[in-house]
Formats: sequence, structure tokens, C-alpha cells
Amino acid sequence: MKNNLNQFKQMFLAQLKLTMREKQAWFWGIFFPVILMVIFMVIFSGSSNEDFSAEIALVNEGSNQTSEILLAQINQNALLDIKSGEAVNREQAEKWVKDQEVDAAIILPRSVEKTSLLLIVNKENEQGVTTQAISGMLDKLVQQVNLSVTNTVPMYQLEFKTISSGSSELNYTDFLLTGMIALAIAQGGLFGMVDLVEMRRKGLIKRLRMTPAKMSIFGISDMTMRLLFSIIQIVLLSLIGVFVFGANLYINFLSLGIVFLFGALSFNALGYLISSFSKTSEAYMGVANIGSFIMMFLSGVFIPIETMPSWIQPLSNVLPLTYFVDGLRDTMIYEASIFSRSLWFGILIVLLWGSVSYLLGSWLYKRKSIVANR
Amino acid sequence: MAILEVKHLQKSFGTIHAVRDISFSVKAGEIFTIIGPNGAGKTTTLEMIEGLVQPDQGEIQFGNLKWDKDADAIKMKIGVQPQSGAMFDLLTPKENLDLFATFYNKAKSTEEILALVNLTEHQNNHVKKLSGGQRQRLAIGLAMISDPEIIFLDEPTTGLDPQARRNIWDIILQLKNLGKTTILTTHYMEEAEKLSDRVCIIDQGKIVTLDTPPALIEKLTKEKEVHLSFLNGEESAYHTNQFIEKLSTVERTEQIGKTLKLWTTNTEDTLYNLFRFTKEKQYCVEQVSIDEMSLEDVFISFTGKEWRD
Repeated sequence: MKNNLNQFKQMFLAQLKLTMREKQAWFWGIFFPVILMVIFMVIFSGSSNEDFSAEIALVNEGSNQTSEILLAQINQNALLDIKSGEAVNREQAEKWVKDQEVDAAIILPRSVEKTSLLLIVNKENEQGVTTQAISGMLDKLVQQVNLSVTNTVPMYQLEFKTISSGSSELNYTDFLLTGMIALAIAQGGLFGMVDLVEMRRKGLIKRLRMTPAKMSIFGISDMTMRLLFSIIQIVLLSLIGVFVFGANLYINFLSLGIVFLFGALSFNALGYLISSFSKTSEAYMGVANIGSFIMMFLSGVFIPIETMPSWIQPLSNVLPLTYFVDGLRDTMIYEASIFSRSLWFGILIVLLWGSVSYLLGSWLYKRKSIVANR
Repeated sequence: MAILEVKHLQKSFGTIHAVRDISFSVKAGEIFTIIGPNGAGKTTTLEMIEGLVQPDQGEIQFGNLKWDKDADAIKMKIGVQPQSGAMFDLLTPKENLDLFATFYNKAKSTEEILALVNLTEHQNNHVKKLSGGQRQRLAIGLAMISDPEIIFLDEPTTGLDPQARRNIWDIILQLKNLGKTTILTTHYMEEAEKLSDRVCIIDQGKIVTLDTPPALIEKLTKEKEVHLSFLNGEESAYHTNQFIEKLSTVERTEQIGKTLKLWTTNTEDTLYNLFRFTKEKQYCVEQVSIDEMSLEDVFISFTGKEWRD
């Protein structure tokens, strides 16, 4: 027992030194997720805080009562910015739309008899968010004018309010931060086991088997090192998220610990499975990259699964990263308690992936290996 | 007393019979060398003895210990330097040795091993930065860290320069002085001849021959080739030739100018008679040489010269 403990200590120390001295591990495990997170944060969360505004061209060729009412309304609307501050002729307006110098052109009715308001947008921007917003605004404007012409008071009104199950401050930064942490841990497991392929290729596993060293202790010390590395990832990414990007975290540490432990173990098991059938590290990296890419985009790391096409969603719903990301979000943003049923459902799916991968990997290792099991 | 006994080992991989029937025993304290062409079954034999490969048939016994019952005890008794020389490249020699030391019940001090394999100076460099010879010495050091009774060295000098090879020979001879038993494989006949107490030649999965290097050479040929050259010139060579042709121990002779070649089955008697004759006639012999067969000649004669890959 004492000898086992000493063996564990020495092996863990050796693993620690090996990891510290491996520059690749630091780059892919620490710097890469940080860089990726910073890029995504800047791209996605940066613009969402700015107010919406659109630049439009205004054409008012036959000034009349209707057009004046509309013009007054448009002028009041702070979100619509009229280019050059005044109405221009239709030719000029259309040219600006074609050259994309304005988001849209609004053509006011030429006479009282004409009842329609024309909105011209560039074909390219037809489905754009700005076009939708301008069209919505004008639609509302026309409604109001209609009501005022008929002297009617609107009966129903829409009120809009946001809530979330966590804090009221939840925003995309929190969403992205937790997604990135889950991704970094998953990739650590998925890519990290390439060491095993290298060790096998160099004959190091065979060499260890020639000694009375206990391979189980070697495995445990290796996993301990990997978990420690992932903890460093969580802490570092969280610190950057909170202090640089102002993320708000409400963590239930017990639940987080459980989700983290089972998740990290399961993704390492996936890596172990890949290592069992990869003869070279290139082959390993190829398979790991495919897995990583599929999960990166389909598991709701960057964008919520609900916004993806419905035919993709069933695929997302079987991927382990989907549940791991959810688990981390629940425990890091929503303070999910350890008694949460949905939390355990997710853990179960992740564990299922992990245990099947581990068993399959072990079976493949045993089947192929010429090394006698002693 | 046999420290290792191998009986009727057999191993096939699919349709390839890597080892057909190999039996030998190794005595305590000797350097036992296995040589053979590539693909002869050396490494498979060694890996079966080291417990890495399960034999299809046959027995391996270390004293009273057998792999199926006493695997841990055997691993404590043996030290292995595999051909690949695998070790942790990002650790230093000292760290590698310290780590391996924890695997065993008893271990030598790291300093002692570093001194023995002459790596004290490089103990704190990463293994990745060591030269081929230094790596190989560390691999031998790792095999010795547990102070094992039997050490397996699988081609320890392959790919090394002559200096580095001689360093390794010194280490192997030191191991013998320490009373260790060494089982060695090599491609270099010179090495086998210099170091080994006994040599076992394996070809196509079988033992072709097994004996001490001189006995193997002796076995191959009873004749030795003797060269003589005379200071006084052709005439003395001619007369000497006339004389020795009649000796019963001389098979044939050949005289070219002032040099004389002869083939004899009894070198000692032949030379005794020859020199008595030249002394009598006052012929002055300038040079005498006896061509020894080398282990390489033995190896080639037992395993053939055809290309094998």
C-alpha cells in the first residue's frame, strides 16, 4: 500500500513535469481556448450592446397632407436616420440603395389619393435584420396613421419583457463563456489521449509492462493530471470571462464538481477510444478533429440549439457535448442544485458515452495487443 | 547452475512460424549472446523470455519461477533494455531513473547507476537532447536500476559510432564483474566474439549452433592457414616448401616468390618442425602469421550468404 502510494506520487510528479514541459499542451489546452473565446466574445457580444439605427433615403415628391403626417412620424423616430437630412428625388434614392449607401429608401405617397407607402431595399439585404426592423417600424407607423385618420383608439397593446430562470443579468457573454469552458474541457479529453498513441509508438507502454509497475496506478495518475489541467482551464477561462468581459456567474460548486468530473472523464474516455484504433498520432488527430468540429457547432457552444434548423436538432440531442454544455450552464449560471433531475439526465447521457467508449477502447486494446496480460 | 532454462519454445504469428523450437539454458554470471540474421526469431524469443509475448508452446523457467504464477517476482529479478530504448523524453536521466526505481522493491541509488553508465554529467539534461550513445547508456541504466540478477540487452550497440560501442562494451564487461548474468543480442560478430561466454546462432526460428566462440570457430574448420616470408629470398622458400610438403600434418602448400602459404590440421606440430628445419638450415624467417577464422565466417557458413530481407 505504502509502495503503491509512493508509486502514484512519483508517477503523478512525472506526469506533472511532462505536461509542464510540453509546449503543445499549453498552447492547445490553455492559450487556444482563451484566444478562441476572446475572438467570439468580441464578434458576438460586442455588437449586441449597441443601439439599433438605420440610415434611410427619403423621397417626398408630391408634398401632401398624408405625406406630411408620415414625414413628421419618421422624423420623430430616433432609430431612423435620414441621409443628408432631407428628402431627395427617387433616382438619387434608388442609386443609394443600389450602392448600399443607405439601408433602405422610403417613398412617401405622392398625393392624398395614393394610400400606399413604398419601401425599397437592396435585393441582397432582403432577409437582413435591418430590413425586417425598418419594415416593422413602418408597418406600425402606417397602423398609427390609419388609426388617427379614423379617430380610433387602439384596444390591445403588446408589452415586452425578458426573464430567465437565473439572474436577470444573464446575457450572451455568460452563454458563450460556459460554452467555451465546456468545449475546452471536451477538447482536452478528445485530443489529449494522443500521448497514448505516441507512448505506444515509442514502445514506452511495452517498456513499462516489462517492469513490475502497476499500469492501473499509471492510468490513475495520468487521469489526475488531466483533471488538474482541466481545473486550470475552468478557473482561467472563468476569470477572463468575468473580469475582462463582465460575465455573471452564479455557481453551485457541488453540482459543478460532479458535472465537471463525469464530463472530463467521459471525454477522456472518448479520446482513449480513438487512441485504441489509431496507429499514428496523425490518424488520431484526424479522427479527433472530425469529432471536435461536429460537436463544436452542433452542441450549442456558440449558438443555442433551438435556433438551428430542425432537422439538425435530433443530431445535437445525442451528442455528449450538448449535455455537458447544458450541465455547465446549469451549474455555473443557474446555480442548479444537485437534486435537479435534468442535471442528472444530462450527466447520465455523458456517462453513457464515456463508459461505452471506455469499454470499447479497452476491448480494442486487448484484441490487438500482442502484449500478454500480465 | 542454470539461472534461466528455456525448453522447446514455439511461436507463430498467423502463418509465420517465428520460433519453431528453441531450447537452451543460461548459467549464472555468463554473457550469453544470441545472434542471427534479421527475422531469425531473436526478438520474439527474447520477448517470450521477458514475458511480453505468450509462447504457443514450451517452457521458460527462472530458477523455480515461471511467468504464469510468478510474473511479479520475475519482473523484480530481471532488467530489460529493449531495442527501441523507450523512455520519457521530456524527463532528465535522473528523473527517469528515479521514476523507474519506484517500480521495484529494491533499487540501486540513482547516483551509482549514473556513474556506472557515465551519465553523471548529463543527469539534468532532457533525454530528448542526449546523443544516441548516451540514450543507449541510459536505457542500460534503466535496466539496471533494480539491481537485477539477469539483464537483457537487445542490440545495445546498433547504430552507434565505434567509440560509443566500446563504451557500451565496457559497461557490459563491468556487469560481468559485478556477477550479473547478461543475455545479449547483436548484429556485430566482433562484439559477440569479444564479449560472449557462449554464443547461440538462431536461424529460421531454430538454434543452428550453440557454443563458446573459440569452439564454434574450431568446429567449423580444423585447418588453419599459415603465412611465412623469408628474408633470404626465393631459394629458402623453395627448400622449406620441399621439406614441409612431406609432413603428415600439412594438407597442402603454395609458394609464390619468397612467401610460402601452408594449410595445417595441427599448427603447433607443424610450426615446431618448420622452425627446427629453418634453424638447421639457417634460413631467416621474416614474418609468420596464422589466419584465424572469425565468428563472422562461422556465422556466414551456418546461415548462408543469400540476401534476406
